[in-house]
Amino acid sequence: MTQTIIWTIAILVILGVVLAVVLYVVAEKFKVEEDPRIDDVEKELPGANCGGCGQAGCRAFAQFCVESEDLDKCFCPVGGNDVMQKVAAVLGREVAAKEPMVAVVRCNGTCENRPKINEYGGYQSCRVKASLYSGDTGCSFGCLGCGDCVEVCQFGAISMDPQTGLPIVDEEKCTACGACVKACPKGVIELRNKGRRNMRVYVSCVNKDKGAAARKACTAACIGCSKCAKVCPFDAITVENNLAYIDFTKCRLCKKCVAECPTGAIHAVNFPVVEKSVKKEE
Amino acid sequence: MLKTFSIGGIHPSDKKISKDCKIEVLPVPSKVYISVAQHLGAPATPIVKAGDKVKAGQVIAEPAGFISAYVHSSVSGTVKSVGPRKDLAGNNVMHIEIDVEGDEWAEGIDLSEDIVASIPEDNKAILEKIKLNGVVGLGGATFPAHVKLCPPPGKKADCLILNGAECEPYLTSDNRIMLERSKEIVIGAAIMKQVLGGCPAVIGIEENKPEAIAAMKQAVSELQASEKGYDGISVMPLKKKYPQGGEKQLIDAVMKRQVKSMGLPIDVGAVVQNVATSLAVYEAVQKNMPLVTNVLTVTGDCLPMENQHNYKFRIGMPLSYIAEYAGGIPKEAAKIISGGPMMGKAIANLDATTVKGSSSLLYLTPEQTVRGVESACIRCGKCAEACPMGLEPFLLQKYARNGMMEELEDNAVQDCIECGCCLYSCPANIPLLDIIRIAKGDVIKIIRGRGQR
Repeated sequence: MTQTIIWTIAILVILGVVLAVVLYVVAEKFKVEEDPRIDDVEKELPGANCGGCGQAGCRAFAQFCVESEDLDKCFCPVGGNDVMQKVAAVLGREVAAKEPMVAVVRCNGTCENRPKINEYGGYQSCRVKASLYSGDTGCSFGCLGCGDCVEVCQFGAISMDPQTGLPIVDEEKCTACGACVKACPKGVIELRNKGRRNMRVYVSCVNKDKGAAARKACTAACIGCSKCAKVCPFDAITVENNLAYIDFTKCRLCKKCVAECPTGAIHAVNFPVVEKSVKKEE
Repeated sequence: MLKTFSIGGIHPSDKKISKDCKIEVLPVPSKVYISVAQHLGAPATPIVKAGDKVKAGQVIAEPAGFISAYVHSSVSGTVKSVGPRKDLAGNNVMHIEIDVEGDEWAEGIDLSEDIVASIPEDNKAILEKIKLNGVVGLGGATFPAHVKLCPPPGKKADCLILNGAECEPYLTSDNRIMLERSKEIVIGAAIMKQVLGGCPAVIGIEENKPEAIAAMKQAVSELQASEKGYDGISVMPLKKKYPQGGEKQLIDAVMKRQVKSMGLPIDVGAVVQNVATSLAVYEAVQKNMPLVTNVLTVTGDCLPMENQHNYKFRIGMPLSYIAEYAGGIPKEAAKIISGGPMMGKAIANLDATTVKGSSSLLYLTPEQTVRGVESACIRCGKCAEACPMGLEPFLLQKYARNGMMEELEDNAVQDCIECGCCLYSCPANIPLLDIIRIAKGDVIKIIRGRGQR
């Protein structure tokens, strides 16, 4: 009885040792040399594997960070500056802080502003719809409203507003990974900087038709009148193909263009409401 | 036993309500808008400007590349503007707007109705005439005809196939021209066959058009008896099955040869042209008449018999004008289709104008347009049975929804001819074609990108 137990233990120990040696030799022989820093960097990343950085997932991005000479070329939009600082610390390098971005829907074609002129009965996908025709409203540039951007967002930051039929971006959740920008067949969504205290001024229209045609299709369309470009003191606005565009790197949020726009196509968001009572107190 | 293609296919209703309506000539409206993108390939470049006087048949836009075509004015008058205008899908396309004044034709065009049966000998001159007169394939794809008639070096045409299948329900324009212009079509076929080096020519017509088959047979035998150069032309009745009019399907039906994946018909020695293209070739070569007219069907279940028409139209006529002239849009119509009910496109904008390839204004009733509620795929395999290219649509749509590009390519999504058989046969109402078409575009883009590297 005792002998059986001793033999069993002995054989198993010998077997274990032999196999351990074999495994060790194989592991040494076929060892893949990998920079240990890749693991360290990967630990700091959010792990969303969204591809917003332009790499195929977080590990690929970690490898890219380790191998690239200039960390300023790498940016994880999901983690933002905090994560990039940590990555720089792991690698013992410096990285400049980037301005945080957010996805902006540049269409104000609500059901009221942009009446439907036909009915779409096909498959509910913006890409399919765009490949078939210009859309169910008179505007052939704006949002198609089937929600491809909602489906593609991994962070649940976009939802369709059932009242307007337009997507809404949740600024808190948006990581500016750019997936929606790529998914939108009409190029309606753009990544813009978040702005000081989230305040932003942008043209909420992408219609390149001539003024009259654009206005006919949608009452909130940019008609390319150039009034905003003339009034802008910082040369931030350009008008091309009957469409104004505000360069967010130049815009100083003076809001002169917002007051000037005849159709209300220029939107100013997150500005504090001006309280008239302040004046009285002074 | 009549011939047909070997794989898949479906049998939609073979309604041809307007098949006995003679071709009527539409009067010229006061204004036309001629699109510069009426063909496959690069849009033509306009060579006229506002204020220019033009005559009917005069070139107003020149080809902008190898695969492109001349565009001619269909009316005489003054160019009012050159600029973007919405096409029938609502997208902006460059149009030339012309105010009509009188009906004066450019010099050198034979407007008489005499049939010219003797074929010129110089093949180069013939090809040049086909090119200069802007002839494009009128079967649907509007591919420039002269490009198809010049096989690449090392390849030879064994057979010219004239497509008179008209396998789409409702459409009757090809049927009518085969009845009323049968001799001209045969002459066009003889011209193309001579250009291709004297190969035989087969006119394939589906069995549901017996009058057209008889008329074409008679025209062939009459011309063979009286003129030289008409040997080797024959009429082949085909069994009715959709999509017989597909290029690859017709080659299979007539020649029993299969075009390889991503291959061209000329790889198996076939050149396919529509009967309407043949008529346009006849007009271009024998009459020096540019392609500015074509025949279109105005039809639909909800249209009374007296409002069913086959019209000879000029390019650039607004669709709303044609609809109005034909007796107005019926109240029951829920959707208007340009092209057949299987492959045609819904018209989003009736202010759009006719182009070279316009073939119909088809009014559909609400019952005909409604889509069933989508349910889960039960893998019954009906779509795979129906697919004339031997694909497995149920599998492709799953891959497409998950963005699996490699699997899509391995399963030959690029061979899809977008005929709609899968969608038609699916009992679960899955929008197979809608999904597969997008995936096909993506995969073809990847394949082309690989070739460039």
